[in-house]
Amino acid sequence: MKDKAGPWASVNAAFSSIKLTLFIFFFLALASIIGTLLPQGLALEEMRKHFSPGVFWWIETLSLHDLYHAAWFQFLLLVLALNLVVCSLDRFPRTMKLLSHREEGLSADKLTKFTHHRAYATSLSMEEVVSRLDEFISAQFAKLQPLESPPKFSAIAEKGGWSRLMVYVVHLSVLLILAGALIGSLYGFRGFMQIAEGQASNEVQLAQSRRVLVLPFEVRCDNFEVSFYDTGMPREFRSDLSILKEGLEALRQPVYVNDPLTYEGVTFYQATYGGVLKEIELELTDKESGRIQRITLPFRETSTIPGTEDRIQVVEYQKEFSNFGPAAGIVVLKKGQEPTGSWILIDRPDFHGNRIGGYQVKVLKAESGYYTGLQVKRDPGVWVVYIGFVALLVGIGLCFYTSHRKLWVLAEPDSGGHGETRVIVAGRTSKNGVAFEREFQDLCDRLGGVLIVK
Amino acid sequence: MVNSSILLSITTFAYLVCTVFYLAGAVFRFTPLLSLGTAFALVSLGIQTGGILLRWIESYQMGYGHAPLSNLYESLVFAAWAIMVIYVVLERRIGHKVLGVFPSLFAFLAMAYASFSKGVDSRIQPLLPALKSNWLIAHVVTCFLGYAAFAVSVGISILYLLQRAHKANPHPKGIFALLPNQKELDEFNYQMVLFGFMWLSLGIVTGSVWANSAWGNYWSWDPKETWSLITWLIYAALLHARTIQGWRGKRVAWLSMIGFACVMFTYFGVNFWLSGLHSYAR
Ligand code: HEM
Repeated sequence: MKDKAGPWASVNAAFSSIKLTLFIFFFLALASIIGTLLPQGLALEEMRKHFSPGVFWWIETLSLHDLYHAAWFQFLLLVLALNLVVCSLDRFPRTMKLLSHREEGLSADKLTKFTHHRAYATSLSMEEVVSRLDEFISAQFAKLQPLESPPKFSAIAEKGGWSRLMVYVVHLSVLLILAGALIGSLYGFRGFMQIAEGQASNEVQLAQSRRVLVLPFEVRCDNFEVSFYDTGMPREFRSDLSILKEGLEALRQPVYVNDPLTYEGVTFYQATYGGVLKEIELELTDKESGRIQRITLPFRETSTIPGTEDRIQVVEYQKEFSNFGPAAGIVVLKKGQEPTGSWILIDRPDFHGNRIGGYQVKVLKAESGYYTGLQVKRDPGVWVVYIGFVALLVGIGLCFYTSHRKLWVLAEPDSGGHGETRVIVAGRTSKNGVAFEREFQDLCDRLGGVLIVK
Repeated sequence: MVNSSILLSITTFAYLVCTVFYLAGAVFRFTPLLSLGTAFALVSLGIQTGGILLRWIESYQMGYGHAPLSNLYESLVFAAWAIMVIYVVLERRIGHKVLGVFPSLFAFLAMAYASFSKGVDSRIQPLLPALKSNWLIAHVVTCFLGYAAFAVSVGISILYLLQRAHKANPHPKGIFALLPNQKELDEFNYQMVLFGFMWLSLGIVTGSVWANSAWGNYWSWDPKETWSLITWLIYAALLHARTIQGWRGKRVAWLSMIGFACVMFTYFGVNFWLSGLHSYAR
C-alpha cells in the first residue's frame, strides 16, 4: 500500500497518520465540551431567545443545539473509523512480519548496543555452554531457537508475541462499537408511551422526531404502584403490564426501574409516572337561573350538560396543583362563544374560584389513578456494541499486562583470552521497560551462576 | 460503641499524619520518616476499610441496605481509599517511598472535604429506585479505581516537572535527591495512566450497560457521560502520543494533568454546574 503513487497514496497517508488521530481526539473532546455547556435538544426558536444574533448564527449553522446528531459530528466519527481502518491495514502486515522475522547472524557489536545486555566469559567449552544455555533459557524464559550452530552459536528466545496483536483487538472493538451504534440508529427506534391504569395502547411517541410509531401489539397497564421510604423518598415504582396480541393476552409481567420487559425485540422501561383522573362527578350551579345539575364525566370525554346546549369536558388533571391538592382542568363550550376553562380544586368544593363561564362547580366525587410512563426501544445493534465492549476491555487489559519480550544469545570462542568462551545475552521488550529490566537482570544473574563465570 | 463515622473521622486525621510523615521524610531526606509514612498509610487504610464495611452494615441496620457508594460523601471516602490502595501497591512494586507525598495528600483532601464541607451530606440515605442495581457497585468501583490511578499519576507528573525544573542543579537537595530518575518517573507515570485508562474504560462500559438495562439507552450524551468520554479521549491521546509519536516526560506529564483536570470536572463540575441523569449523585 505504501509504495502506490498518486492521489490514493496521499489519501492513504493522511488517513494512516497518527497526527490525524490526535487531532480527532482533541476535536471530539472539544466538541463534546461545547455540547455539555450548551443545553442540548431544545428547539432552535428557544435558543434564539437566549442568545445574541451572532452567537445564534453559529448555533444554527453548526447545529450546536443538537450537536451530537449534527452531520459534522457524525462525520468526525466516520473519519475516526476510517483512520482506524487504514492505520490498521497499514500496520498489520508489518506486525505479522515482525513476529515471523528471523534474524540471520548476530554479532557481538550489535548485541552490546542493546539497552539491556550482559556479557560473560567462561572456561566452559562451546559445546557445554550451548547445552547449558539451551537448558536454562528454555526452562526459565522461553524455548531457545538456534539461528547459527558452532563454531559461532546464536539463538533467540521470545514470548508474548501475540501481545502485539492486542492493539488490533482494541481498535477493532472501537469499530464494532461505532458499527453497533450505526445499526441501532438505522434499524432501531426509541420513544415513549404513557398509559393510564386499565388502558391499553400501541402508540409510541418517537424521541428523535414528532412521529408516532404503531406497534404490532398493544400494551396494557393493569396497575401501577409507587411506594415510599419513611423519609418521603420514593422506594420503588412498579407497573403491571400485559401484552395484547390481536386482542389476546400474550404476556403479563411487572416492570420496575432497572427491570424492564421485552417482547418481540421491543423493550419497555419504567421511566416516569403521574396521576390521572378516571371519572369525576360534578354539581353545576347555573348562576343566572340558579338551576343545579349533576353530571358524571369520564376523563377527556365531552358531554352535554342536561337541560342545556352547553358542552363540558375534563381536559387536564394534576395530582398536586400549586399546593392546593388535586385539581381538574375543565372546559365549557357554549354555543356561539369562545370555550372557557379553569382549574377546579377537587378537595375544596366550596372554594369561590371554582367557576367556569356561568357555572359554579363543585366536585362531588373524583376517581383518580395513575398513568405509567414507559421508555420504549428496539435496538438490534446493541449486541454488536456489547461484543465491542468485551473486546475493548479484554484488549486493553492484555495490552497492559502482557508484553512481547525477546532475548538474543550469542556464544563464540573467546579471542580476547579471558577464557574459553564468550557469551552475550541481550533483551528487548515491547513495553514496560522498567519491569523487564528487573526480569532481565535477575535472569542474567542466575545465568551467570549456570555458566560459572570466571 | 464504635461506629463508621468515628472510624472515618480517625481516617481523615490519620491521612493527614501520613502526609506529614511522607513530606517531612522527603524534605529532610530522612528515610525512617518515609517508612513511618508507609506504616501510617497501611494503618489508615485498615481503619478506613473497617469504616466503610461498618457503614455498609449500618445501612442494613437502618433498613436501607446498600453498598456505601451511593452519594457524594460515600464516593469521596471510596476515592480516598482507592488512591491509597493503588499507591501502596505501586510503592511495594517499585520501592520508592517519596512518591507517597501526593497520594496521601489527595486522600486526606478527599476525606477532609467529605467530612467538613457543608455541601456534603454524610448521613446514610436510602437509595433512589434508579440506583437500585448491582451495576451501581461495579460502575462506581471501576470508575473510582480509574480516577484514583489518574490521581497517583498526577502526583508523579508534578514530581517529574519539579525535578525537571531542578535538573540544572548538579547537587540536588531535599526531595529531589530521593526521587527516582526522570526516565523511571516517566515510566511509572505511563504505567499509572494505562492502568487508569483500563479502569476508566471498564467504568464507562459498566455505566453504559447499566444505563441500557435501566433506561434502554447505553449512551445518551448526558453531561456526566460525555465528560467521562472527554477524559477518556484525552488519555487515549496521551497513550497514542507516547507510543507512536514518542512523546515523553514533560508533555506526557502535562497531558496527564489536563486529563486529571477533566476527571475533576467530571466528578465535581458536572454535579455543580450541569444537570443531567447523574445529578441525583449530589
Ligand atoms: C477511540 C479510538 C482508539 C482507542 C480506544 C485506541 C486505543 C489504543 C490503545 C489502548 C493502544 C495501546 C497503547 C499503548 O500500548 O500504550 C493503542 C495503540 C495504537 N493505536 Fe490506537 N486507539 C484508538 C484509535 C486509533 C486510531 C484512529 C489510530 C490510527 C492511526 C490508532 C493507532 C494506534 C497505533 C499505531 C498504536 C500503536 C500500536 C503499536 O504499539 O504497535 N489508534 N491504541
